[in-house]
Amino acid sequence: MSAKDHFIIIGNGPAGNNAAEVLRENDKKARISIISTESFSFYYRHRLKDFISGRIPAEDLVVKHYSEYKDKNIRLRLGQFVEKIDPEKKILYLKHMEKINYTKLIIATGGSPRILPSLTIFQDYLTMFSTYSDTVGLRHRIEKAKEIVVLGGDLTSFSFVKSLVKACKKVSFLLFNDAFWPISLTSEMILKIEENLKSHNVATFFNDSVEMIKKSKSKYTIETKQNNKIKSDIIISLMGMIPNIRFILGSSIDTDRGVLVDAYLRTNFKDIYAAGDCAQIYNPILKNYWVSIGWMNAEEQGKIAALNLLGDSKIIEPPKEEIFEYEGIKVNTSWWKKF
Amino acid sequence: MSNTDIVLEICGSAGEGTISSGEIFNRYISSIDFEIMSFDTYPSEIRGFGKCVAHSRFSTQKIFTPGKYTDILIALNDAHSISQLGHLKDTGVVIYDSKPPKYHEEDKSIVGWMEPGMISYGIPFNDLAQKAAGNSRGRNMVALGAVCALFGVDHEEFKNTIIQRYAKKKQIVIDNNVNSFVEGYNWANDNLTKIDSISFKKGKNKNEKESIIINGNQAVAKAAIDSELHLYAGYPITPATKIMEILSHELPKKNGIMLQTEDEISAIGNVLGAGFAGKRSMTATSGPGFALMTEFMGLSVMAQIPAVIVNSQRGGPSTGLPTKTEQSDFNAAVNGGTGDLPRFVIAPASVEECYDGTTLAFYLAEKYQTLVVILLDFFLSNSIRNIDEPTPPTEKMLNSNIAPNEKELKDYVRFKETKTGVSPRSIPGTPNGMYTTTGLENNERGKPQYDGKLHTKMSDMRYRKLNSALNDVPKPKWTGPKKDIDVGILSWGSSAGAAYEAATIANKNGHRVAVLSSLVVFPVNEVDLTKFCNESKQILIPELNYSGQYANFIASYINRPVERLNMVSGLPMASEDVLSKIDEMIAS
Amino acid sequence: MDNFKINYIDEMLDDVEKKDFLKYRTGELPTWCPGCGYFGITQSIVQSCNELNLKNEDICVASGIGCAGRFPVFMDVYGFHTLHGRSVPVASGMKLAREELTVFAIAGDGDIMGIGGGHLPHIARKNIDITLFLFDNSIYGLTKGQSSSTTPFEQTTNSHPFGNPDQPLKPVSLALSYGATFVARAFAGNVDQMTAIFKKGITHKGFSFIHILTPCVTFDKVNYTWKNLKANVEEIYDEFDHTNHTEAMRIAEKSRLYTGIFYHRYDVPSYQDYLKQK
Ligand SMILES: Cc1cc2nc3c(=O)[nH]c(=O)nc-3n(C[C@H](O)[C@H](O)[C@H](O)COP(=O)(O)OP(=O)(O)OC[C@H]3O[C@@H](n4cnc5c(N)ncnc54)[C@H](O)[C@@H]3O)c2cc1C
Ligand SMILES: Cc1ncc(C[n+]2csc(CCOP(=O)(O)OP(=O)(O)O)c2C)c(N)n1
Ligand code: SF4
Ligand SMILES: [Mg+2]
Repeated sequence: MSAKDHFIIIGNGPAGNNAAEVLRENDKKARISIISTESFSFYYRHRLKDFISGRIPAEDLVVKHYSEYKDKNIRLRLGQFVEKIDPEKKILYLKHMEKINYTKLIIATGGSPRILPSLTIFQDYLTMFSTYSDTVGLRHRIEKAKEIVVLGGDLTSFSFVKSLVKACKKVSFLLFNDAFWPISLTSEMILKIEENLKSHNVATFFNDSVEMIKKSKSKYTIETKQNNKIKSDIIISLMGMIPNIRFILGSSIDTDRGVLVDAYLRTNFKDIYAAGDCAQIYNPILKNYWVSIGWMNAEEQGKIAALNLLGDSKIIEPPKEEIFEYEGIKVNTSWWKKF
Repeated sequence: MSNTDIVLEICGSAGEGTISSGEIFNRYISSIDFEIMSFDTYPSEIRGFGKCVAHSRFSTQKIFTPGKYTDILIALNDAHSISQLGHLKDTGVVIYDSKPPKYHEEDKSIVGWMEPGMISYGIPFNDLAQKAAGNSRGRNMVALGAVCALFGVDHEEFKNTIIQRYAKKKQIVIDNNVNSFVEGYNWANDNLTKIDSISFKKGKNKNEKESIIINGNQAVAKAAIDSELHLYAGYPITPATKIMEILSHELPKKNGIMLQTEDEISAIGNVLGAGFAGKRSMTATSGPGFALMTEFMGLSVMAQIPAVIVNSQRGGPSTGLPTKTEQSDFNAAVNGGTGDLPRFVIAPASVEECYDGTTLAFYLAEKYQTLVVILLDFFLSNSIRNIDEPTPPTEKMLNSNIAPNEKELKDYVRFKETKTGVSPRSIPGTPNGMYTTTGLENNERGKPQYDGKLHTKMSDMRYRKLNSALNDVPKPKWTGPKKDIDVGILSWGSSAGAAYEAATIANKNGHRVAVLSSLVVFPVNEVDLTKFCNESKQILIPELNYSGQYANFIASYINRPVERLNMVSGLPMASEDVLSKIDEMIAS
Repeated sequence: MDNFKINYIDEMLDDVEKKDFLKYRTGELPTWCPGCGYFGITQSIVQSCNELNLKNEDICVASGIGCAGRFPVFMDVYGFHTLHGRSVPVASGMKLAREELTVFAIAGDGDIMGIGGGHLPHIARKNIDITLFLFDNSIYGLTKGQSSSTTPFEQTTNSHPFGNPDQPLKPVSLALSYGATFVARAFAGNVDQMTAIFKKGITHKGFSFIHILTPCVTFDKVNYTWKNLKANVEEIYDEFDHTNHTEAMRIAEKSRLYTGIFYHRYDVPSYQDYLKQK
């Protein structure tokens, strides 16, 4: 490849970083840039819960330091948001009003917290997090808070609750089993979960749902269908993630829930690939598209997208059925690998 | 309570109000009792779109340098501001226009170049200014509004500063500026989440003491007026021009004259003419002009006529780097000219000293009937400080000419030999005081004469004048330990500030570092110099020139090796520069 | 020729005795060569001061370097023997400092048509109230006979043994084009006319330019000799309208060397008068 090549990766998560490494290993000359909205270095998202509850310092989140990018001659553009892609002209439009030309592109934009439609009217009262900057302010609030309510709709909510308990908070947990993500919970699982949480002194509210949230001064009161009134200093909603693809809509790159790619992680445009949480990959066995979730999946996909971009034709292996063990609960999922 | 020490830069292109917004910010922050040291840069030669930077350091402590690394960068113009990122701190803040009229091309946007760890706040400068005033002129005020919101500056009080700044303008101008400011303030409050920790809140509410905000050139001009300057003659040249422009306003008020001459030769000629006629006069120039004045410098000394020349040094040689700072005219100031040419050279280290050095220059020139060169530099000329109202010259300093008495006028001998070397000088209009002076070697009556004995005697007299003046000038400033000095810094001119700061830090770190610097760099006070050097294990001479002009000069007085720190980057010396050299010396 | 020289000096000495001129002179005897035109010029300047009743202490003289430059050394006034070509800026500074003083600038042709030529246009357009006496002997006297800016084309001099390749400047035409408000020419051999012109020039409020034709008897044996000058000078006729710039220009360009006042303009304020109006 020539020095005129400009490979751009949108997203500084595991997918993006693995892609960049592979690109650099195989092409010493091309310009490689990573663009990402977040201003913090590449970090372990799953450790955020421990950071929020004050159990680890920010340094422990970091996967890769800024200097490592410099050493590999990878330009890191942090705090920059891609607003629009023009796949015909191969131009990215950034929110800070800069146009950037690419020759090949990997979209690895991950996902953002999902909010349940039934809860959108209370949006202002809910706290969600998926990034470092979300957690910086939250950390101080949690420090001061005594009572915390967790609206649990995904797998991370369990471990987060445990983390809060360890930090000596009074925690209430509302399970959203109807909307649970990314798997459906069986009644057997639900029982085990409840048992587990109770053993940690968590007040559990299963088979219930939010009717109303009120705020007076800095206290919230949640009124449930079953007439429970739960008081709280912070309400944290953890309902899984939805792929970050809004900026792609309207660009004529095919999307559904995520960016649609084939088993080679190619989009409908020749030089554009997608990987990680944002990609919706065609699974030849299922004959359908699946959004794949999880850190290691993202790493793997980043690598494969990069290799294919460089001319290889690697297929993402359709995952075997796997039993996934999570906080003592066995979850049957083929897409969520053990971390 | 810990100190607040913030470096702020506003960068834009000419015409965007960069400098004026910096000025307003300085004025307000000064009023809440911060120390200010500020340094603006303008486009070097072109009008229109050149780059302007208003750089200011604000501190709740005494400071001597403008600070090398920036905390807050306000980018009024993205393309120009990119290079300023080079000295933004790792965790520095950038404030930029998030809604310019069109997209920046690749790599022409400031945000695109920010290093990880830096923080940016996008504010739609343009949109908000349009909203406030119907045009984009108030972008700078929008930015200031946002700065006030983000960094805890009282916006009501600040508004008054804006109103004062534009008091002489039409109401609409005042309104547009204030409204733009308010838009910026409100928008930032409503839309931005602060993620940095910079704050101006530690300033006292109101500054009680009488302080003024001026730069080196203004201080020189003010001092000249206070010294009863009558004639300023000059030819425009960066970075000295401003002195001329200020005096063209101020002199007429005092029945004085600003004469714009055809060249620097004429300028210094006029200065000597007026000096001969008994009035205080001066000129200000930079390298190329100073070179042209050389012949007249000799005449001033030889004919014993007072003359004051300000040389604001640029980068040299020749036309050099007109808008960069350097201290490379030391040789020219101290030794420039032909023959044995004793003269006073004054090198202020700060804006305060620009004032004091200038009043001293007029005093010395008149009393000792000779040439005084004041060495400023681009940085000092343009560096802005808030200082206490300076002490005007005393009566004695204002009337320093030693005139002949009646008895002496009976048979007036103009160049009569005296112990001090100073012979009474009569002023035109004095009956029986007539004499002719000349650039030729001359006898006591001014008659040209070339015999060796006479030349020896007269040379001696000219040098004697200077030596007798050593008691008449401020002693060198010795800061830091008086004994057992690890590193003794001999500093001069504007880089002395960096030396003080570096020494202070080094001493806090447990070293023994002292600084000796003198307002008058020639003649040399050898007593203090020797004492200082005797107490110092190592000597360091930091200066902004390539060849170590001061170091070479001082070497002949102190007779021992010195460490040098020479820089010609065009930037003022920073305390970091001196400090790392000190550490290196102590480590070795 | 020699006869003429001796007679001339005798005449002068007579005059000096008659009138009280000596008070403006120091005890210094001029170092000029016998027969030099500068004696006559000095005489006229002294006489003008006397007739105008100027006090010694109120006169300031700045001179350049050259034989002409020595002038203040022989005068009992406030004198400043400055640099080659620089009498004008120094005189300007004197006047700007002390308006009440009478200020003269003395220059040779080398001084103000050569090295210091750049000052002439500006002192003229600034109209600073000094009187410039240009001692034009069309040669460098002090440095012993090199070509000056007024040496005629092809004349052999010590610096141009094969003939001067440069065209001479025309001081009067230049002063007129520069906008000098008083422009005159005098001849060192005509003391009476010279004195009359000097007095007019000195009293003119503004810049006065007086071009004085004078021989260098030692180094110029061909051009401005007493004989040639005598033969070539002619007094401007009485009816001449010296407020008419075009006419002044016209006669200045003639090869005949007119003496008298070419141009005298009254309506331009002097530099300092202008400042006072503001
Ligand atoms: C709290 C939490 C706990 C988790 N715990 C686990 C766990 O225990 N095990 C596990 O396997 N997985 C876990 N995950 C999921 C895992 O972190 C993700 O699957 C993984 O980070 C996905 O990687 P990615 O590279 O696809 O995207 P991401 O890591 O999400 O990175 C994408 C980046 O792209 C940026 N971006 C998005 N849009 C744009 C745009 N338009 N312009 C520029 N940049 C953009 C985003 O800001 C983001 O920084 C957890 C996630 C969270 C939030
Ligand atoms: C800067 C400088 N260059 C050269 C000289 C040498 N120099 C002295 S007088 C002179 C020429 C004088 O000619 P002019 O001005 O016509 O005076 P004159 O002697 O004819 O009266 C020269 C070249 C000098 N003194 N200074
Ligand atoms: S050299 Fe010429 S000009 Fe000089 S004094 Fe002698 S005659 Fe006069
Ligand atoms: Mg001559």
